[in-house]
Amino acid sequence: MAVDVAAPRTRTPQAPAARGGGLAVLGALLLVALMIHLVAPSRVGWLQNLLIVFGSLLVEAMPFILLGATISAAIEVLVPSSTFAKLGRLPKGLQLPAAAAAGMAFPVCECGSVPVARRLAAKGLAPGAAITFMLAAPIVNPVVIASTFVAYRGRDTLWLMVIGRFVLGFVVAMAVGWVIGALKGSGELLRTPTQDVATEEAIEGTEARWRRFAGHLAGDVVFMARFLVIGAFIAAAVQTFVPQSVVDRVAGLPILSIVAMMLLAFLMSLCSESDAFVAASFVAFGPAAQLAFLVSGPMIDVKLSALYAGTYRGGFVRTATIAIFATTLVLTMWIQVIWG
Amino acid sequence: MNAHWSPARVWTGLALAAWAGLFWFVLVTGRTGLYLSSRTAWVVPLGGILATVAAVLRLASARTTRPEHLDARGSWTLGVVVLPVVILLAMPPATLGTYAVGRRSGFVGSGVSASGGSLASGELTLLDVAAAQSSAAGRAALQRRAGEAVTFEGLVTLESGAGPGEFKLTRFIITCCVADATIAQVTVVDAPPGPLQDNDWVRVTGRLYPLGDEILLDASAVEPIPEPERPYLTP
Repeated sequence: MAVDVAAPRTRTPQAPAARGGGLAVLGALLLVALMIHLVAPSRVGWLQNLLIVFGSLLVEAMPFILLGATISAAIEVLVPSSTFAKLGRLPKGLQLPAAAAAGMAFPVCECGSVPVARRLAAKGLAPGAAITFMLAAPIVNPVVIASTFVAYRGRDTLWLMVIGRFVLGFVVAMAVGWVIGALKGSGELLRTPTQDVATEEAIEGTEARWRRFAGHLAGDVVFMARFLVIGAFIAAAVQTFVPQSVVDRVAGLPILSIVAMMLLAFLMSLCSESDAFVAASFVAFGPAAQLAFLVSGPMIDVKLSALYAGTYRGGFVRTATIAIFATTLVLTMWIQVIWG
Repeated sequence: MNAHWSPARVWTGLALAAWAGLFWFVLVTGRTGLYLSSRTAWVVPLGGILATVAAVLRLASARTTRPEHLDARGSWTLGVVVLPVVILLAMPPATLGTYAVGRRSGFVGSGVSASGGSLASGELTLLDVAAAQSSAAGRAALQRRAGEAVTFEGLVTLESGAGPGEFKLTRFIITCCVADATIAQVTVVDAPPGPLQDNDWVRVTGRLYPLGDEILLDASAVEPIPEPERPYLTP
């Protein structure tokens, strides 16, 4: 289970401290409900905006967390570890492209791919390949390709944006996967492998398959959801207090325009299935800057940073962020040179 | 060995049940449109089904021979997970308003596009007008329909320095969820005198005049309306 639990015991009585903690949490939740009732967000513009964006991010993302956790639990219960050991024996040069290509068959946005990649890494898939899959899936899947097409149809840059996004997403995901895989100690990528494995082994040793499925499903959902909640709140706050026009001043500057759009994608934390419509609205920015928005955003943003920080060991977020930004910047600069 | 209820599993199951309850509540009360576009509305029943299954399975497996108790840290973790459910249930139904207008992408290039051909005939909508601004062909097609009678519904946005009978009529366009909202906006002029306030929903009938990047709607009638069931437009 991902919820912090004490060692299993043979009897059930709740410790007084634990009961006190539970009552404090219930009291805090009731207090929040009471405060919202008393403050009446409709009278406070920024508060209403914050809560609406926060709520909408979660109402949209949580089903994908649930879906990803369901797939993750099914992998854990149904797919033997030896399958992933076989994948690990593929030639190194094939592992990352194969992982990125597997993302094409996984039509969910970025929130759904994180629990699956976590499970794949826990089952023994090479860390670089798991990360490549996690980063590529939200960009190269058919739904996202279709939404990019719809957002840019009728424009001269249609095919540049659709094909460019797919190719850059593929390449950047592999590059970052290679960097992560080459790091010293990359084999211990997950933040809490010992705790999870110990608990899961305890479950597996004594319980039926459906019970193990239930345990992994609930554990993954709770594990991911807490970071999603924190990330969504920060993203909603950014959307509430930082106007989108803040980046307009650098639209005509060659490199800064790309950096500004990557920064904006990081702050806005949009779903990869809708971000093309927002990118297309920044008409003052060229195709290279818009591509940078569309490639880096689904790989790293405020919401994902919280998810990654909770899932992977210290330093992963920093390394991944640098690798994603650097690779995207270099590739889109070439596009800027060629297409303007 | 005898089986006992595991407090950690029970509370985790209840947290998942709270999320399931939220999804079903949003669906049954018709609040989906407050958070999601019609394109992505299907994720609400999906979330409801998956959360319900997860909750039922967790609760059904909560009796075990090795029960785990929930410590204070685990309680707070579950509290964070359930917090959005409490907020969304406690909050009255609400949509983006005037506050968000200044923080979203403007009228030019509202994230949707339309060809000149699709604008050549047929009834003009606020979404068409927004889409037309994304391409030269769209702007030219809209220009050819200058003076045409239209009826638009949207939010009133009052601006300082605006003349009498003048305000912005705004509608948010969302593709997936409210976080990706952009705005479609026209300037209403010659509105009949009446007490209008920010965030009032109105139906404006008048004639449309594109003037460069600005679209004027010369109003002949402005009537207050209740907030539509789907307050956001979807391209």
